[in-house]
Amino acid sequence: MRRLTLLLAFAALSAGAQEIYDLLIKNGHVIDPKNGRNERLDVAVVGRRIAKVGRDLPAACARNVIDAGGYYVTPGLIDIHAYLDPNGPGRGLNPDHNTLRHGVTTAVDAGSAGWSTFEPFKREVIDQAVVRLLAFVDITAPAGARSDSGARAEESDIAAAVETANRYRQHILGFKAVVSDSAEWQPLERAIQAAARSGGVVMAHWQGAGEDRYRELVLERLRPGDILAPIYSRLNPWAGYPNALPAYLSEARRRGVLFDVGHGAAGFWFRVAAPALEQGLLADTISSGLDRDSVMLPGATLTNVMSKLLNLGMTLEQVIERTTVNAARAIRRPELGTLEEGAEADIAVLALERGQFAFLDSGRAKLTGRLRLRCALTVRAGKVVWDHDGLDAEDWQEAGPYSQFK
Amino acid sequence: MKRLLVPLLGCAVLWGQPYDLLLKGGHVIDPANGIDGPQDVAVAAGRIARLAPSVDASQARKVIDARGLYVTPGLVDIHAHVFGYAGSLLPDDTALLTGATTIVDAGGAGWRTFDEFRRTVIERSRTRVLALINIVGWGMLGPKYEDDVGDMDPKKTAEAVRKHRDVIVGIKTAHFSGTGWTAIRRAIEAGKLAGVPVMIDDKIFTNTGRSSRQKLLEIMRAGDIHTHVFNDRQVEIISRFDGKVQPYAWEARRRGVIFDLGHGAGSFLWPVATRAMAQGFYPDTISTDLHATSILATESDMANAISKMMLLGMSLREAIERSTVRPAQVIGRYPELGTLSEGREADIALFELRRGVFAYKDAWKKKMLGTERLECVMTIRAGRIAFDAKGLAFPDWREAGAYEVLP
Repeated sequence: MRRLTLLLAFAALSAGAQEIYDLLIKNGHVIDPKNGRNERLDVAVVGRRIAKVGRDLPAACARNVIDAGGYYVTPGLIDIHAYLDPNGPGRGLNPDHNTLRHGVTTAVDAGSAGWSTFEPFKREVIDQAVVRLLAFVDITAPAGARSDSGARAEESDIAAAVETANRYRQHILGFKAVVSDSAEWQPLERAIQAAARSGGVVMAHWQGAGEDRYRELVLERLRPGDILAPIYSRLNPWAGYPNALPAYLSEARRRGVLFDVGHGAAGFWFRVAAPALEQGLLADTISSGLDRDSVMLPGATLTNVMSKLLNLGMTLEQVIERTTVNAARAIRRPELGTLEEGAEADIAVLALERGQFAFLDSGRAKLTGRLRLRCALTVRAGKVVWDHDGLDAEDWQEAGPYSQFK
Repeated sequence: MKRLLVPLLGCAVLWGQPYDLLLKGGHVIDPANGIDGPQDVAVAAGRIARLAPSVDASQARKVIDARGLYVTPGLVDIHAHVFGYAGSLLPDDTALLTGATTIVDAGGAGWRTFDEFRRTVIERSRTRVLALINIVGWGMLGPKYEDDVGDMDPKKTAEAVRKHRDVIVGIKTAHFSGTGWTAIRRAIEAGKLAGVPVMIDDKIFTNTGRSSRQKLLEIMRAGDIHTHVFNDRQVEIISRFDGKVQPYAWEARRRGVIFDLGHGAGSFLWPVATRAMAQGFYPDTISTDLHATSILATESDMANAISKMMLLGMSLREAIERSTVRPAQVIGRYPELGTLSEGREADIALFELRRGVFAYKDAWKKKMLGTERLECVMTIRAGRIAFDAKGLAFPDWREAGAYEVLP
């Protein structure tokens, strides 16, 4: 019924009824891979939603006009891998300023909370955040005060995890598990069980183990649609011979396993990424892996990670695709990462700067490059929440008398 | 044998290269030492080892080419929010990214919550976190607590200062919406008992029974800090009738009252700031009032606040003085903090003065365009590189072989 109403509303619009736009972003170069757009277009917003994307939308119909000439206009970016619980005992950051300043309007916490701590995490962090915050639940996180060293998820925990995921379906995307030499398959298997029972995705975090184990992980254990990170880690068994990528990688991708960047403090190495990209191993999704250990050195904010990949040879459209439509698909939120009419108005206005720039990787090695992506303005649910370049601000001398000041 | 060899080798390296780090060719601004020109800065064992016109590059294990950059003492931000307050942020990803190596939490914790603040924030941060303790026992938890005169205990507060003397540098009173002088007098009483200054963030409306004039000229002591100087609601620094700086503001300054910027989301207005600055009424100390709202709306970090001061006529040298040695003096931490003097802990910031067109916003989202912006490119805390936006301290990946984490 609701769908029908929406359809009727759009039909009325296309029949020529003009709307008053709350916000009109004019003259920007729109890159919206989901809808195949890569050209100069205007974007109009009414309330919380995208009202129209088109050529030469009339400024006279807008209450507020932003001139984005010279900038790229994209769907609000989606960072599917970050650590955003500043109150926890871990390495989490404050969500809003570490996302919105970088064009990210949807961020996914990659396992700061376990099922037993999800409710307070939601109440204290998710519900307070301006950024849309979603989550993978850590399957190995212990209930209550139990020690987390070598914790094993018991059957009862899986039932509780499934119940939590079902109750908070709006926020929980699935389960996170670490795969390393020291652990058995158990954490991953539990994550897969819980995800299967709640209809979620598994995000596996590779922390280094033998090649047999990696092959088994990507060819047998992970299901199509499950996500493996970090793709450009030096701990990948193939990282030592990146000039001859093993066949099981392409086989895994054919199966539908998704490979994510997940930069973070230890997950991104130029010496792995550069040759891998040359051979066409492009991550399905680009994410920051941002936490307290990576926000300053090596600098893992999402636009920074995108800039690194740009300078390693990805195109602008490729990095936007991997932080919008691809990311939305990976987390099964196809309504996100798009500028289509009716979608929630999450928008990033990005500047592609040209000059001499340098970036560090997880090994603190430097890449110099000529491009840098910087977020100038961010719109979340129709509201301007970040405006570094003052595109939405009036000059103070034109502002007239301030109402409380003569 | 191997055990013996390693320290021996270490000694040999140290013997040949006495410095861990050398910042070479930068323009050093170290107002405490009267330096404003090219100098080299050498660091050893986490401390400033040498500040001299030229230090031989072979003397250091890592040399950073600082040509074209400004090198200053790590900035000291005496007004930030990293505990207790609803908009609190974490210290490191806010301060260290913008050149501040010392921040002072302005009243997040009171005597009831200070132990928790110390354990969960101060001891977990790389940034040096100091504090102004709130006169309210529960700290900055909102109006219900901040208006509770019964929870403003000067003795308990002074006791907490003595217990945490290494990190508490003063008292804070803020947001009191009741009438009369009780909150401010109790804070000053605690300040007297503990021998520390008081920072006052006071809303003065017509019905509070308080006046700015009396506060600045009679109630506050020399050395006490009036924050949010370019706000228009707490003290009318600028007369609405003639646009002049109030005579009592000048008089208070002569008395020794400290005027702090406390930029924040709501406390920096172009009409106030432009008039005050044009008449030479500069803030004594530049500080951010950094919190969840201000970091997004006005970008009130130290580098940005300094850029705004420069846009309104302050020289870079003066701005650095008011962001390093002056705040260190105001909180009683000079000469330990705010200088590049040899022997001090090596807290250092490197800045680039970028040219272009940049937008600066005030509390009401009005912008002023400027042609310069000070941008932090590197922060060193206790001799260790905490932030390096340009990769100045590290080698190119193509020349690093099968590198692991590089030193």
